[in-house]
Amino acid sequence: MIEILSTTALATVQDLGRSGALRWGVGTSGAMDPMALAAGNLLLGNDEGAAGIELQIFPYQVRFVTDCAFAITGADTEAQLDNQAVLPWWRCAARAGQVLRLSPPRRGVWAASRAYLCLAGGVAEPLVLGSRSTQMRGSFGGHEGRALRLGDRLAVGRPGLIGEELDGFGLVPPALAMPFVVDGQPAVRVLPAAETACYNEVSLAAFWSNPWKITAQSDRYGYRLAGEPLVPLAPMELRSHGIVPGVIQVPPGGQPIVQMRDAQPSGGYPKIGTVIEADLWRLGQAPIGSAVRFVPTDWTTAIAALDANRRWLDEARRLIDLWRESMAGLRQ
Amino acid sequence: MTDRLTTQLATWLAATDIDCLELRGPGVHLCLINRNGQVDLALASVSPHAAAGKLTVTAQSVGRYQHSHPAHEQPLVAVGQAITAGQAVGLLQVGSLLMPVVSPEAGYMVRHLVAAGATVGYGTALAEIRSTTAALKAKGHGH
Repeated sequence: MIEILSTTALATVQDLGRSGALRWGVGTSGAMDPMALAAGNLLLGNDEGAAGIELQIFPYQVRFVTDCAFAITGADTEAQLDNQAVLPWWRCAARAGQVLRLSPPRRGVWAASRAYLCLAGGVAEPLVLGSRSTQMRGSFGGHEGRALRLGDRLAVGRPGLIGEELDGFGLVPPALAMPFVVDGQPAVRVLPAAETACYNEVSLAAFWSNPWKITAQSDRYGYRLAGEPLVPLAPMELRSHGIVPGVIQVPPGGQPIVQMRDAQPSGGYPKIGTVIEADLWRLGQAPIGSAVRFVPTDWTTAIAALDANRRWLDEARRLIDLWRESMAGLRQ
Repeated sequence: MTDRLTTQLATWLAATDIDCLELRGPGVHLCLINRNGQVDLALASVSPHAAAGKLTVTAQSVGRYQHSHPAHEQPLVAVGQAITAGQAVGLLQVGSLLMPVVSPEAGYMVRHLVAAGATVGYGTALAEIRSTTAALKAKGHGH
């Protein structure tokens, strides 16, 4: 069990998302950086989709109420367990009473904004519609259907350190192993959408070649971007239709909005493209104030990118299993 | 340290159809016999540490030796920096996996013995530590 020691808002319990509920108007939610959450779970021997805590405002502190193995992934928050530094993308053993402190992310080799605290066995919250992710619009899922508060106590699936490695170990963040950068700026691949052809050539050229700034009006619901306004060939009026995370809408002002994990399930703005699922983790980590680039892609490349993510996770799991086996041998 | 190395190798050897594993390196000579998954230690000899107070941290896995975490520009520990028992002074990287190279005792970092990024084998001496707890113990560390 852990106890939240921070009053900071916007920390939520998330897993890999609630799929299959859009038909009831229930959005997907889930980790903004699913690669980081899955990797944290792999470090602990959890299912990839076990629930963890997504943190986006720092500093943040939790106290371990019981002995517990944990992993920290995502943004490099210079974590400290009591006075001991914890490396990024690292798993550790915590004793009851120890306090974990996370600082505002370092903008080092990889500028990222969200950290994931994964716990042995996952955060033990009930499944709602097949997921433990917090559904903020519906106020269900996660911990009591809301963001975490000071004093909240979260049960973990596998408390205690019996049979756990006490030595830490970690992973190289996938952002370093498979970077995707254009002119030094993080980039994401985009599929054409229904209204792509409804924008003038100058606008489309600017969309692909200019950096887009992530404004302060960006959160888990959507990223509002700032750049050269996109001009349609003719004004468009659409009926509301189903949308998913990754869809890039263009409201009348011409400044696009990328729908993120807490996106509403329908919308009526024209869509200039869709960020591919395999790259949403890159966008999910891009800090407010930073710039991103859009790169046109096709269906085949989008599927291949998902396969590449899958391969990175499979290889990490294989190496971790080997390490855990040899550590188990040493404990015998 | 040799016990850890031996057990690790024995675990992996037992899962193969290899009959014998012999390892020679600086200060170590090890021979393991695998009889249908039952692994016996036929020979093990390790030379003791040369000087009291000076401690050599050796590789307990194969991998690429890293002085700093891949996400950091700064090394894990600077030369002359005080370190605590169990603190990582370097990392061994195998693919995306990072394993800590920890100092068994409190002391000071003297130097790395292997260049950053070099591929090393089991038992390779990686870093030299000046132990501050050595004076409290009998001579040598009996590894």
